[in-house]
Amino acid sequence: MPPRASKRKSAPPNSSSVTSSDGRSVSSKAKIKGLEKIDRLFNTYANSSLGMIDPEGIEALCSDLGVDYTDVRILMLAWKLKAEKQGYFTQDEWQTGLKALGVDSLSKLKKALSDLEKEVEKPSNYEDFYTYAFRYCLTEEKQKSVDIESICELLNLVLGVQFRPQIDSLIEYLKVQNDYKVINSDQWINFLRFCKEISFPDLENYDATQAWPLILDNYVEWMREKHS
Amino acid sequence: MSNQKKRNFQIEAFKHRVVVDPKYAEKTWSILEHAIHEIYNHNASGLSFEELYRNAYNMVLHKFGEKLYSGLVATMTAHLKEISKSIEAAQGDLFLEELNRKWNDHNKALQMIRDILMYMDRTYIPNTHKTPVHELGLNLWRDNVIHSSKIQSRLLSMLLELVHRERTGEVIDRGLMRNIIKMLMDLGSSVYQEDFEKPFLEVSAEFYMGESQKFIECCDCGDYLKKAELRLNEEIERVTHFLDVKSEVKITNVVEKEMIANHMMRLVHMENSGLVNMLLDDKYEDLGRMYNLFRRVPNGLSTIRDVMTSHLREIGKQLVTDAEKLKDPVEFVQRLLDEKDKYDSIISQAFSNDKTFQNALNSSFEYFINLNNRSPEFISLFVDDKLRKGLKGVSEEDVEIILDKVMMLFRYLQEKDVFEKYYKQHLAKRLLSGKTVSDDAERSLIVKLKTECGYQFTSKLEGMFTDMKTSQDTMQGFYASHPELTDGPTLVVQVLTTGSWPTQPSITCNLPAETSALCEKFRSYYLGTHTGRRLSWQTNMGTADIKATFGKGQKHELNVSTYQMCVLMLFNNADRLSYKEVEQATGIPASDLKRCLQSMACVKGKNVLRKEPMSKDIGEDDAFFVNDKFTSKFYKVKIGTVVAQKESEPEKQETRQRVEEDRKPQIEAAIVRIMKSRRVLDHNNIIAEVTKQLQSRFLANPTEIKKRIESLIERDFLERDNNDRKLYRYLA
Repeated sequence: MPPRASKRKSAPPNSSSVTSSDGRSVSSKAKIKGLEKIDRLFNTYANSSLGMIDPEGIEALCSDLGVDYTDVRILMLAWKLKAEKQGYFTQDEWQTGLKALGVDSLSKLKKALSDLEKEVEKPSNYEDFYTYAFRYCLTEEKQKSVDIESICELLNLVLGVQFRPQIDSLIEYLKVQNDYKVINSDQWINFLRFCKEISFPDLENYDATQAWPLILDNYVEWMREKHS
Repeated sequence: MSNQKKRNFQIEAFKHRVVVDPKYAEKTWSILEHAIHEIYNHNASGLSFEELYRNAYNMVLHKFGEKLYSGLVATMTAHLKEISKSIEAAQGDLFLEELNRKWNDHNKALQMIRDILMYMDRTYIPNTHKTPVHELGLNLWRDNVIHSSKIQSRLLSMLLELVHRERTGEVIDRGLMRNIIKMLMDLGSSVYQEDFEKPFLEVSAEFYMGESQKFIECCDCGDYLKKAELRLNEEIERVTHFLDVKSEVKITNVVEKEMIANHMMRLVHMENSGLVNMLLDDKYEDLGRMYNLFRRVPNGLSTIRDVMTSHLREIGKQLVTDAEKLKDPVEFVQRLLDEKDKYDSIISQAFSNDKTFQNALNSSFEYFINLNNRSPEFISLFVDDKLRKGLKGVSEEDVEIILDKVMMLFRYLQEKDVFEKYYKQHLAKRLLSGKTVSDDAERSLIVKLKTECGYQFTSKLEGMFTDMKTSQDTMQGFYASHPELTDGPTLVVQVLTTGSWPTQPSITCNLPAETSALCEKFRSYYLGTHTGRRLSWQTNMGTADIKATFGKGQKHELNVSTYQMCVLMLFNNADRLSYKEVEQATGIPASDLKRCLQSMACVKGKNVLRKEPMSKDIGEDDAFFVNDKFTSKFYKVKIGTVVAQKESEPEKQETRQRVEEDRKPQIEAAIVRIMKSRRVLDHNNIIAEVTKQLQSRFLANPTEIKKRIESLIERDFLERDNNDRKLYRYLA
């Protein structure tokens, strides 16, 4: 295919082929038009001096979408966009993400959000999303751990619906214990495995001599003491 | 000799010119029968062997073997029946004698008869597969005499009666017994077993069952065992005298079962005389007897071993948890050593150095020594005491013996790194105060520790010795290059390499002017030859010898700590000093200062200072004066050397914490080492491997290991496998 003439002013030449979320290649004219709409949508919320959507912009987007700023679906959107920095969407991310979703307008985006929920819940995606959620909280360069408070909120957001009792109990523990002030990614990923594998609330099949992180050993001990 | 005509020659066997006398066989037989009669009647002398042999030979030759044989059987049987009657007629004790006599007669007769009938024995009998004469004679004897209804039971009961009599102490005719028993054996092992041995064993079992019951009610353990041993030996001896040697193991089994196995537990646990009492009282002979008897029965030795082990553990546990005994660490360790010596003796003298018992002893010690987590500290204090004064005047070999014993206790420790920490502290104090009794002994112990634990364990300790030596050389160099100082106060400096010595917080105090000038000269001298190093004075570890003149002119030389020197020197320029003034002038930290003043003002015989008020404790408002009335028998007075002592609670906590801190990098190093070589390993195996690697220093806690693994994951040394949560992977 001959290279297309770019009509856009600010966007860098996009050399990757554009596919919608179901994999079919869109014809070039439609592509250009779609891209334009996506970009226009981008510019609606972007901070022009930064060249990307900042927290304010995201807030505005949220209110337009009719979801709360702290709604988990925004996190899912960030995941779909593969957004690197919390609170910001770059143009690249925006374009790639919306194209993957197959949307180019606000209304379509709104609808796509509920589909997105189902997509995330697919087992093959869920763990990826879960790990992403943690990484997304690492705001500083070289940061490896997240403070307890944020973790509690994140747990609630991400796992709260599916594992309500476990998460409530775990959050309670995390808040009262003193051994750990931050949680690292290894511990984070094991929280999910814990919820999935260990029977609750009896915790019968938990074996502290296995490779579970120490924080969970302590949690189980705390639980057992509480219930004895 | 026939002439050689060509005729068909037939050579025929030489035939006796016999007339076909139909009564031939009868006649011949009656001759033989008569002979047999005569033999049995002890009239054999009148017979001609040759004639009888010939007769028998002819009968067989002429095919009358059958008649001969059956005749023999009939004749012999008839005689035996008569013999049987005469034996039956014998009264009482004469029964066996009669039986024995007749048996001998029968054998002699049998011999002769066999000789006469030898041709038949060799030809007719093998061909017809009949029983040979000798054997036949024995069988007939067995069937007609021994197994005759009137004799069989009487024989058995007589034999058993005699055995019983002998067991109850009577003397019996052993020769007679031997012959009778031999007779039974000759008749065949089944005869011996059925007609004697089996019932003998049964009766013996009953006998010993009764006897053991009787004894166990009235004897104590030691006596009972003596009796059992006696009986056992008796039975063995009896066998050698008149029983089949194969019966020995059978009868000893009976005795062992009835007298020992059945009462084993009762004996071992007998109150006031059982195994535990024997152990407590060092009853080597009784213990040895018990060992030798019990090893004959199944589970005998393991029973002894188990009781010994649980007793040891009990005693040991009491020893290490008794608060009274723990007040004096040296006493405590000495008692451990004494206990070990005691049991070593018992095992070597009474239990013939049985290895399994040695192992039981070792495991028991290991168990209870580690019940008290201060054991490492106490053992180090024991060594310290010995190396300071305990080994004074002791010969070299005895020193080695004591040090080897200490090493043996050391081996039982699980927390060897705790021992190392204390040992280093105590060694430092010994070296710096110059209080070691023998340099050789010190070095010898280091060598032993190195052999046991490797170079790493002792490298720092050796560094300490090196520093001492180097310091000596340094001092020589210092004074050589500053000859003008030889008139002033003598300075002795030990330069310690920071890494080798136990860490102390270095707080300098204000030294008196004379001393500090000297120290500065040394510092510049040292740094002149060792650029790039940093020296910091450890004023809390030094000592000083100062000459003092008191009110009435009494002169004394005082050996004091550096702190004490600083305080005392102040009184050269002041008569009265308040606590606060002293504190300010010297800059010594409060708790040390209080201890220092207390040792000089409140201890009888060392009170070179006077304190107002005269209370025992140091108050912030106290005032101090030189005690002009100070007296001492000795010219040289030692005031408060820095002696190694049992730690106070807070000190103990601190040391323990430091030990825990030191363990963390060791655990991590072990994890990294293992993962580097294995690349991928699962959780349980890592824990096991790490524990094994660190075993020679301390017992690693699985939770602690887990913590270290997580820390290593965080620092990207390891990662968890994505699919199998139990696996760890080494990240290069």
